[in-house]
Parts: sequence; structure tokens; C-alpha cells
Amino acid sequence: MHLAHWNFLFGFGQIAFASYTLIILAGGGVAVTAHSLVRAMVGLVATMFGVAGLYMLLLADFVALMQILIYVGAVSVLIFFAIMLTRASADGGEAKGPGWRGILRAIAAFLLPVVLMIMLRFYGVSGSDTPKNIPVNALGAGLLGAYTLPFELISIVLLVATVGAVLLTLEKRGSK
Amino acid sequence: MNPLVCYQIVALLLLGLGFYALVARHTLVGMLIGVELMLNGAGLSIVAAAQLTPADAILGQLGALLVMGLAAAEATLVLAIVLVVFKRFGNADADTARELKG
Repeated sequence: MHLAHWNFLFGFGQIAFASYTLIILAGGGVAVTAHSLVRAMVGLVATMFGVAGLYMLLLADFVALMQILIYVGAVSVLIFFAIMLTRASADGGEAKGPGWRGILRAIAAFLLPVVLMIMLRFYGVSGSDTPKNIPVNALGAGLLGAYTLPFELISIVLLVATVGAVLLTLEKRGSK
Repeated sequence: MNPLVCYQIVALLLLGLGFYALVARHTLVGMLIGVELMLNGAGLSIVAAAQLTPADAILGQLGALLVMGLAAAEATLVLAIVLVVFKRFGNADADTARELKG
């Protein structure tokens, strides 16, 4: 997979990176500013697809597939359920227009990322031009070998979250 | 520019967008969308740092998978909390849930 090579002039890698970044920024902008929550959710799905493309570009194929399966497949459906069940999209009037309060909010929100970007430029991190190619076998071996504890821990966390969600929603009906 | 710096800048932009959604939205679901944006940025940052530096790449990819699992668990719990708030207060605004004992 030599598409990810950064070196040759105006290569596929740079074009792909630029287009994925464009998708991410456009989707993120829609997710943040759209009045209807359903539209914001569609923007978030576009952003997730863009991040999956960047994972592909980083030669992390398995992570990209899991991103599409978990985020686009499961988490977005969950948030769609939340939007539907609370009828939040009918309310409208989500984010206010770009008044001066909106500008102040944007400054407050982007303060930390801009400071981190300046630090990134200042300290000049160095990385290789081509990502490493890790086969999926190695990932599975790591999951069953050196990193078993987080693997088991995440399953326990998911179990507890599921049970907690069921208990939270049943609590009101039981007390009636 | 260094590829690693480019990926980190995209991750930081996602962090900023998530912060902005968290600040500007006033329904709980809109704030949840902002948190998901931030978690996406975190995963991208971890994978980029693991794949483009001599660090352990397996650890980085598995860390990103762990972040995804935590995001799924968090979304489940937030959905349940939003449902409870909606049942008790009639809407899912962050400002309406201000009574501690209803």
C-alpha cells in the first residue's frame, strides 16, 4: 500500500489527506452549528468517516474498520435514538446565530487547541514520513498477550454501562 | 510540514470543535455530539503518534480501540441519563435540570 507515502510530489497521500481533512472540517462545522440536531448528527457521521479515512492513510486498517463499525454503526444510531426519544430536533433554536457571544464562545473553545498548536510548532515534534505496517495478527496477539487486562476491563466497563443504563431507565417506572 | 504535525493539527481542530459544541449547545444531546467529536480527535492523535514515531504501534492501535469502547459505553450511559432527565423535566435542556430533589 504505497498510497500513504508522503514523499513524492503532490502524491496521492497529500491529496487524500487534504480531502479527508476537508470532509472532517465540513462535517464538524455542520455538527457544531446546525440548528436541527438531526443535521448535526449527519455532520458528525461525515466527520467519523473522514477520521476513518485518516486511519486508513495511517495504515491502521483494523482501527479504521472498527471506527466505521462502532462509531458510524453503533454510537450514531444510539444518538439518533436519543434525539428521537427526546424530540430535541423539534425544539429548534439550538446554537444561537454568530453574534458576538458566539465569537466569544469560539475564542474560549479554541484557546486550548491553539495554544497546543503553537507548542507543537515551538517544540517541533519529529516523526517518520511513512507509517508502520502492523498486521492484524499482531494486534490480536497483543490483545491476548501483553494487553489482556485492558481488553477484559473494557468488556467489564461495557457490561456495567449496559446494566446501569437499563437500571437508570427502569428506576422511574418501578417507583411509580 | 511534518506528517505527524499535520495529523496532530487535525486532531486539535476536532478537539476545538468539540469544545465549541460543548459550550454553545444547550441541549444534552448536542453536548454529547461535542464529546464524540473530542473523542474522535483523541483517537486520531493516539494512532498518529503510534504509527509515525518509533513507539509501540500495537499499543497505540489498541489504545484507540479502547477509546472507542469507552465512547460506546459513555454514549449508552448518556442516552439513559438524557432519557431520565426528559422524563422528569419534560425536555432535555441542560439548564432545566437544576433541582437536586424532584
